Amino acid sequence: MNRSTVEIILRAEWRAWRNRIAKANPLRIVGLAVFALFTGIVFGGVLFALAAAAGHLLPTARDAMLAGAFTALSVLMLVVGFPSVIGTYFAGRDLMQLVLAPVTSLEIFLARSLFAMSANLLVAVVFLIFVVGVGVGSGSSLLYYPLALALVFVQVLLVTSLQAVFMAAVLRWVPARIAREVAVAVASIAGGGLYLAWNLTLRQSIGAFSPHRQPDLTNLVSLLQRIEFVPSAWPGHALNAVIRGDAWGALAWTGLTFGLAVVLVGVAALLYERTLLAGLGLLGGVPSRWMARPQKAPRVAGSGAGSPGFAIARKDWIAYRRDIRRLSRVLPAMIFLLAYAVLLVRPGRGVDLFWNDVFVVSFVSLFMSMMFATTAIPSERRGYQLLRLAPVTPWQLIRAKVVFTIVPVLALSTVISLGLSLFGGNSAWKTLQLVLLAAWLGIGCVCIGVSAGAIDPNFESTDDRRSVGIVGTFAAMGGELAFGLLSVGSLGLLYLAAGLASGNGVAGLPATPALAGLGVLLAIVLAAGSAAVVGLMMWIANSHLRGFEDSIVSN
Amino acid sequence: MSSTPIAVEARHLVKSYGMVRAVQDVSFQVPRGEIFGFLGANGAGKTTTLRMLCGLIRPTAGTALIDGFDVFKQPMEAKARLGYLDEDPFIHPHLTGREFLDYIADLYRMPRGTERQQRMDRLLRLFELAGRDGELIGAYSHGMKQKIGLASLLIREPSVLLLDEPTNGLDPRSARLVKDLLEELAARGTTVLLSTHILEVAQALCRRIAIMDGGRLVATGTMDELRAQAGSAQGTLEDLFLRLTAGPESSELISSLLAPGR
Repeated sequence: MNRSTVEIILRAEWRAWRNRIAKANPLRIVGLAVFALFTGIVFGGVLFALAAAAGHLLPTARDAMLAGAFTALSVLMLVVGFPSVIGTYFAGRDLMQLVLAPVTSLEIFLARSLFAMSANLLVAVVFLIFVVGVGVGSGSSLLYYPLALALVFVQVLLVTSLQAVFMAAVLRWVPARIAREVAVAVASIAGGGLYLAWNLTLRQSIGAFSPHRQPDLTNLVSLLQRIEFVPSAWPGHALNAVIRGDAWGALAWTGLTFGLAVVLVGVAALLYERTLLAGLGLLGGVPSRWMARPQKAPRVAGSGAGSPGFAIARKDWIAYRRDIRRLSRVLPAMIFLLAYAVLLVRPGRGVDLFWNDVFVVSFVSLFMSMMFATTAIPSERRGYQLLRLAPVTPWQLIRAKVVFTIVPVLALSTVISLGLSLFGGNSAWKTLQLVLLAAWLGIGCVCIGVSAGAIDPNFESTDDRRSVGIVGTFAAMGGELAFGLLSVGSLGLLYLAAGLASGNGVAGLPATPALAGLGVLLAIVLAAGSAAVVGLMMWIANSHLRGFEDSIVSN
Repeated sequence: MSSTPIAVEARHLVKSYGMVRAVQDVSFQVPRGEIFGFLGANGAGKTTTLRMLCGLIRPTAGTALIDGFDVFKQPMEAKARLGYLDEDPFIHPHLTGREFLDYIADLYRMPRGTERQQRMDRLLRLFELAGRDGELIGAYSHGMKQKIGLASLLIREPSVLLLDEPTNGLDPRSARLVKDLLEELAARGTTVLLSTHILEVAQALCRRIAIMDGGRLVATGTMDELRAQAGSAQGTLEDLFLRLTAGPESSELISSLLAPGR
């Protein structure tokens, strides 16, 4: 192997990364650095303190904690870091250059490994803080810390290699054009499933987080015992052996971990050599499979002038269901949403089932809107320039996007609200209220989401997850949260007023008609406030889109 | 020229990005039915000027008029008359060729019905896309994307066409087709502003030509007028272009590059 080739590739990657940083807005870089430092200190400090306390107070649970932490790290990396692994090893135009150059697949594999691991390494830093905290709390020897660092790194290498092996296997069986999407969807569904299973186990063990119930840890303990011999738990056992002063145990578990890593890296490199060309240049392209079927006779459209709004909505509908990349990200999220709403949310002690359903409906509206509405305008990508060229106003565009997005959001939130209400035994009147609330929240959140996307769009991004900037994301979250709180607050006040009007004192308030009237008035004010949030967001979005030309200039 | 209505007009267009002036005080007029060539070296400001004329970029100063309508003050009127094809056309990869044309037709409020379908069929046949119109555009070659981009302009018959490298990526047959088509369109009253690096195309098609360099218009006129401005009585457009944009002599650069010992 020519070592200098790997160095050359790494140096070029490093320069490209450095140039990207240098080219970025310095204010943005400083802002991000300050944000990262602040959250790092706060979050890292809390995590470290918790881990140290647990390590000190729960000596018998150290092994389970460390094994569980390394397993959780592995699962999280499998999902979070997968796109980076695919992008670095299998996709990317620069790979084409490397393949054309006199460079072996092994050299490419080695040179790309560091960048492929980047996302996984970021995730691992959080877990390293936890592992170090447990070590400090346990009063372990100094050997613990370098070994912890090495084991976390090896775990990252191991998972990254596993992902490369998985991707190679997918490329063997799935057409390259859709391989990335299939792999990401499988990993997301697997990760989401494991997360839900973990949550269900926790919920069964600890109950509905009630302080009055005795926790039953049988399920949790049994789960941790079951994962004891899973390879992802081995580094945890090794570190626990160091804490206990068991040198042979530490050596054995560390040896097993390193051995597995060597085997997996070897297999990944071998498979990479065989699959690099199969995937190269095809990944990221647009699948054209659909059109292999016999073509239908062109549909002659009806009479009347074409409608720009309808045209945009129709185009979105056609393009969305053909865009495997977007579908592969939406489907796992939808499964997660449904499972979360139906399985995990349970009313707290003393909380009326109706208000629990209100919470679920609000959550569904917010989640769906963040998923579909916020990206609605930025997902036009370069096609936005077609709209700029056409006699279509920004206002028409916003309206068309709202109309397109509102259909799935309302459909799902209505189905969920009806399902929750009917299965929960709500009366017909409360069911109707819930459906109306779902419609109100759905429409409002979609309007806010679409507007937030228009406030800070990144039309150059080919990935929906990066198509809305930080400002847009915060505007969507803030706007939807404010709208949701005001709306639900308004409903709460109406309930309060109804209680007072029927002669029942609520929360120590005397049941007088004047107070009931005040409650209704305040409810109207809050509802008007929530509508004003929607109006304001749409107005800002419209003004911003009218003058937007960033992506056009950069072309 | 004075009797013919003006279809495209740039009045003292300026575009600055911070301290950099990409376009400096560009003014010209194109009468209806003329093919007007727009030449310049890479980075001369042609694309920025075209994008200001079609309303994609707001000028720092100056006015852009299409058929007398200010592109920024009366955008709906101007855009309805305008067709712009970028050098890298904006086309949705997940639509088929036919769906894309349908989408554009609806965006521009073209009446639906058989007539529109027939026009679509004729355009698809003209650009040899008839058998491929059911395929996703993302699977098209660069030349096919260029053709569907052109078809999307022609389906709605704009009175002004702003074309940035329209023959880019086209095979010789299709390039010839585009040239013939532009001549025919101009003869029927369509105004064409053509930006190209292929000087032979510009010389053959354009009645008048503007040459940009460093964000400025350095010359505008017919071939004879350009020759007079360049002080060269016999030069081809290539000679005139090189003289007016005054770059280093390529022969000297080539000699120094290939000189022994380099």
